[in-house]
Amino acid sequence: MILEAQDLGWQVRAVRIVESVSFQVRKGETLGLIGPNGSGKSTLLKLLAGILSPSSGEVHINGNPMGRMNRREIGQTLAFVEQQSDTSERLTVRDAVELGRTAWLSALQPWSEKDDCIVAQSLVRVDMAGMEKRSWHTLSGGERQRVHIARALAQQPEILLLDEPTNHLDIQHQISILRLVKALAVTSVIALHDLNQAMACDRVGVMSKGRLLTIGSPSEVLTLDLIRDVFGVSARFLTDTDGSSFIRFQPIQ
Amino acid sequence: MSDIAIEQARRITYRRVGYVSASILLIIAAIALGVTVGETSMPLHLVGQTLANKMLGASYALDPIDAGIIWNYRLTRAIVAAFCGASLSISGVVLQAMLRNALADPYILGISAGASTGAVTVLILGLGGGLLSLSLGAFAGSLVSFVLVVMLARAAGGGVGIQATGLIILSGIAGSQLFNALTSFIITRSANAEQVRGVMFWLMGNLSGVRWDDVMLAVPIATIGICVCIWHRRELDAFTFGADSAASLGVPVRKVQAIVIGAAAMMTAVMVSIVGSIGFVGIVIPHAARFLVGPRHAQLLPVAALMGGVFLVLADIGSRILVPNQVLPIGVITALVGAPGFALILIRGRRTR
Repeated sequence: MILEAQDLGWQVRAVRIVESVSFQVRKGETLGLIGPNGSGKSTLLKLLAGILSPSSGEVHINGNPMGRMNRREIGQTLAFVEQQSDTSERLTVRDAVELGRTAWLSALQPWSEKDDCIVAQSLVRVDMAGMEKRSWHTLSGGERQRVHIARALAQQPEILLLDEPTNHLDIQHQISILRLVKALAVTSVIALHDLNQAMACDRVGVMSKGRLLTIGSPSEVLTLDLIRDVFGVSARFLTDTDGSSFIRFQPIQ
Repeated sequence: MSDIAIEQARRITYRRVGYVSASILLIIAAIALGVTVGETSMPLHLVGQTLANKMLGASYALDPIDAGIIWNYRLTRAIVAAFCGASLSISGVVLQAMLRNALADPYILGISAGASTGAVTVLILGLGGGLLSLSLGAFAGSLVSFVLVVMLARAAGGGVGIQATGLIILSGIAGSQLFNALTSFIITRSANAEQVRGVMFWLMGNLSGVRWDDVMLAVPIATIGICVCIWHRRELDAFTFGADSAASLGVPVRKVQAIVIGAAAMMTAVMVSIVGSIGFVGIVIPHAARFLVGPRHAQLLPVAALMGGVFLVLADIGSRILVPNQVLPIGVITALVGAPGFALILIRGRRTR
């Protein structure tokens, strides 16, 4: 197992935000995390990324407890794209992606040709080659998200965690970002809002009130009962002309 | 590596050596100017001969008063100004990066307020019975204030850690207000007009009393502090998108914050205790340097240090010659010259943004 959560819990004073969450992520798969607002998806991702330290339980990466790894080792194995991160600095696309090399460079190590290569490749993979010199402030929301993903790729991670990467993006960019992530040869865990997007993941985990209700293939997990219970809407599965199915939502009568 | 890559690497190395030597020459030129210019101007050859006598054991026949002015007054002053300017400027850069706040300056952690309370406690209340110097009092005051501010920030839940760096700024404001009030209280309760004038002068920054023992303190502290900050240049870059982002990039956030903020606090406390709280350098020079070389700390930190150093040496010259027969507080000059200069940079910068 490349990434494993064992009985994870996190609380602020007496309020439990995440409670006894256990699951495993297999190498190479794309795991979607869904759940209503406030269900603990973002907190769970931060626990998996080691940005928050769990109140109980443990995260294991490749069998090693995260608590015993140092930050640099974690940064070389796992990259995290936050939901909203912006800056007021006047930096370029290339500057932002170069940050991804931080974990691989010590204070005395000079920037090398190899680092240059990795940064260039990362930009190619998010389809932003040729935009290195663009200033951060001139980028659209979709382009910024791509830069964040390129920066995460420059970390050369085995595991990529993304917190609602399609938020605030238009439909074209939503689709292209998800396609991009699915096509990457890394293990990824993505928090998502759109259940139709979750259908495209290898497996889906459903969060509700800080707990992981169920985890499994989209067709097993995304049942009409579950959608009603967790999201409070009634749903219908419809079949498209190409044979794939999609979900339509209606308020509960 | 291909020949082209080797050639390119060599060119980069040459360029780097060029920049470093140009910087060193620039700061030496500024210091030389600081030594020659003054109420009585000292010609450059006299300065050279004095330095040769003192440092190389040469024996030029010189007027001992001239040699004394050059060696004990002007040179010490210029050196301390240079290192003080560099320290304040670098402290501003790293605090702005760590706290992600463009308004952060070296005094945001309550250091100058604490220093002023410490100074007036020694100067006016006579604490320590004359054994404590003004500088030592100021240094103690700034440390007390800094520790209190950090403790408050930690108690509030943020502190030197991942969460809300806003808390440390708010704690700094609380600390500054408290110590400024204490300073005012002591002054109004106990000071006579003469003492008030002295304190005011000290508070606005003053390089008059600087001697070699101050140089021996300022130079190593500034050098260590600047090296610590430059050592962490990549970690500082990683804070561009916030502390959480830095953590996910592989930066041990708490450790780096403690080390870098600690280094900035140390430099600031020592400089304030030697020359008082000189404003403006620590907030304006960092921004000016950013406009020039961008936000990456590998370039930003050395450039900010150089600009801060040169700026303060020049400001010190201004404070001595602007009004004949009177030395102005250097803080007045830094603000008078710096504010319009900064306004220009802001206006010009808008075009490139």
